Amino acid sequence: MEGLSYALQAVTTMPVVAAAFGGVLWGILGGALPGISPSIAMALLLPFTYNLPPLVAVVLLASVYVGAEYGGSIPAILIRTPGTNAAAATTIDGYAMHMKGRGGEALGLSLVGGTIGGLFGLILLATLTEPLSSLALLFTPPAYFAMGILGISVIASLSEGALLKGLIAGVLGMMIATVGTDPISGVSRFTFGNPNLLEGIHFILIMLGIFAVSELMVQAGENRWREGAKPDTGRAKLKLPTLPTLWRLRRAQGIGCVLGAVEGAIPGAGGSVAAFLSYNEARRWSKEPEKFGHGSEEGVIAPETANNVVSATALVPTLSFGIPGSNSTAILLGGFLIHGLQPGPLLFTSNPEIVYGLFGGLFTANLMMLLLGIVILGPCIWLVKRPKPYLMAAIFGLVVSGVYSIDHSLFDLWVVLAAGVVGYIMRVLGFPHLPLILGLVLGYMIESNYRRALLMTNGDHIVFLQDGVSLTLLTCAALIIGVAAVREIRRWRKPLVIPASQAH
Amino acid sequence: MRFSRMKTVLCVGLTAVGLLAQSALAAEYPHKTVKLVTHSSPGGGTDVFLRELVKHLSPIMGVNFAVENVRGGAGAKAVAYLANSPADGSVFYGTTPSYINTSLLSKPEKTYQDLDPVVNLFQDPQIVFVRADSPYKNLKEVVEDAKKRPNQVRVAVSTPGSLDRQVMEQLKAETGTEMTIITHDGGGDVMLSVLNGTANVGIGEVAELRGQIDAGKIRLITTYTNQRLKQFPDVPTAKEQGINLVVRKFRGIAGPKGLPRDVVSAWENSIQKVLESPDFKAWYEKDALVPDYMNQEEYKKFTAEFAEGQKDFFQKYGITTD
Repeated sequence: MEGLSYALQAVTTMPVVAAAFGGVLWGILGGALPGISPSIAMALLLPFTYNLPPLVAVVLLASVYVGAEYGGSIPAILIRTPGTNAAAATTIDGYAMHMKGRGGEALGLSLVGGTIGGLFGLILLATLTEPLSSLALLFTPPAYFAMGILGISVIASLSEGALLKGLIAGVLGMMIATVGTDPISGVSRFTFGNPNLLEGIHFILIMLGIFAVSELMVQAGENRWREGAKPDTGRAKLKLPTLPTLWRLRRAQGIGCVLGAVEGAIPGAGGSVAAFLSYNEARRWSKEPEKFGHGSEEGVIAPETANNVVSATALVPTLSFGIPGSNSTAILLGGFLIHGLQPGPLLFTSNPEIVYGLFGGLFTANLMMLLLGIVILGPCIWLVKRPKPYLMAAIFGLVVSGVYSIDHSLFDLWVVLAAGVVGYIMRVLGFPHLPLILGLVLGYMIESNYRRALLMTNGDHIVFLQDGVSLTLLTCAALIIGVAAVREIRRWRKPLVIPASQAH
Repeated sequence: MRFSRMKTVLCVGLTAVGLLAQSALAAEYPHKTVKLVTHSSPGGGTDVFLRELVKHLSPIMGVNFAVENVRGGAGAKAVAYLANSPADGSVFYGTTPSYINTSLLSKPEKTYQDLDPVVNLFQDPQIVFVRADSPYKNLKEVVEDAKKRPNQVRVAVSTPGSLDRQVMEQLKAETGTEMTIITHDGGGDVMLSVLNGTANVGIGEVAELRGQIDAGKIRLITTYTNQRLKQFPDVPTAKEQGINLVVRKFRGIAGPKGLPRDVVSAWENSIQKVLESPDFKAWYEKDALVPDYMNQEEYKKFTAEFAEGQKDFFQKYGITTD
């Protein structure tokens, strides 16, 4: 009850509300710009928080995180460019909806889904921090390995009808993940003496290339440009989902909430894994799985709910252990430390006004997100309805300048362009993109934890079966793979015409 | 800016000896704004450290500082940036062992040898810790247990090229024991591994561990320092237990090669003063940083020796081949 009064106090004081508002606004803009990830948006703001009161500073940073996790979905839906890592899963059905003239609906779904997710995560954070923090301790190296395997098994169902091509793409992604310093021994691998490769290839670079640049190449190659430039006549207008619609999509949202809560509470998993897993589960439990990939509402709301739940529950390990689970929460942790606050089990008793004030601030931030979203989305939709050639040139400029702004590195730009060419070739040959992204996101987690787990038992593989969490997750993965394999075999026996668009 | 205007007024108006001596020092520094470069991202370890340092150093040196984050290439970019900057005292670099490690590991065009060490400020103590319910009370008991059960004691360390992995490998070699060393992505993961029993023993720094120490979830058993830490007088050093290992994780300042002597001495004088400043002291003692001032000559020698040690380590464990 004491906590509630602190939270109320925070919600009603002007600087905290202003911080929540400013943070969310900055976060949405940062998230929507390709290349500016949530962590970079936060890092840019961090120096300005040094002289703010501690509570205002942490609310500001945490609100940026909330806003950015949502903002990433705007370009994902409108221009097939995920603004953040976690929005990659949203591009699939979000962009498909937009192509069918339902972009406004998709934006509404992601906004409302994100707000619901954010508020749900916040309730968990405020009431269940203690039990959720024990989740982090349940996850030992074998469990992380098994979670990675479960995540990657999704490839099997994502690439139905093109299983072999999906697997090839997945392996390609995992190969890219091996570039850089070996996580266990420290040896440099596949760096060819280039210091730019020492830290590995950033996930966001490949994603921007594969999604955004390749889409630009495909569109530029379309015949209709010869007919001259004319504005897009599609009637895209922001349309918030009605209550019956939300009720219809309750299953997808529930999946997003649960998976987001779990993934957020485990350090190292993060929004992208949560989004991909929820997308896949939403599809598995859906009544209309055939719609996925062609503009399914569930395919938009599930990942968007999940990654906003993560933006709240990711604070669990940060607050209760002082351990950041991602780059974004690492910067938030920096914000705490700069103000002399030591996150850890004692923070809740030593500085309750900060902890509960932060919860109050985040509550405000989530409501602000809904309001700001409604205001911002109109102009965004107007922007993407400009004549295509201008729009595409602007997107290309945005991607290039966004990438350059991360580390001021020309090398990174070449990586993006090369990834774009690879993505284009993959599309032409009918290779799906998502398995590559999944392999890239999960490859590092799978490899490093596989080797760590084996170190624990001096090389005995029994460790993966002894650990309860690992055993459960591996069993689920085996089921997913088994079902997909059976379907694939049936398909071989009874050949079926696969629509070309399924390969996207 | 305000300080220098005040200084001019004072110089004109007053002839008091003490005041003159103080302003003379500041007047010697040839720049009004000095850039401090770090390879760490905003909010990262060295970034927070430099920003705190300049708060206290700025009035002493009579200079405005700007901290700039030059990220990328695991620190190689920041080193290259420094090496290509003018050696006039306007740009400096916040050093940590990683700038030497990156130079050795990735062989970039510009290495630590293209920079000149200026002064050292601190050593970060590396501390061995266990979960609160662990039977181990000191490092010796860990070693004895490892002798009894080879390869059964698991030690969590941070990244493969880190000093904390290095010292644990040295511990194995010195004591002739077989322990399993598990590397992680960072200090936070080490803590989780110790808390959930993946590892029996971990190693880390006070700043990362403090939350859990205060909550009584972990126990410190040994420090790899020369003396016991003031903040933890009951925790023995490794040396006391007959294990002659000390980790030298330094924090200092380096600059482009060929800095003028007066710039270097301005830094040497000011750093000695700032280490005595009560406000700064309160900050660094909270995280148990051990002040270890070295002037340029000492720091150059130290850096060269340190780099040799790292080279040997990297070769011995196959992290680099040449």
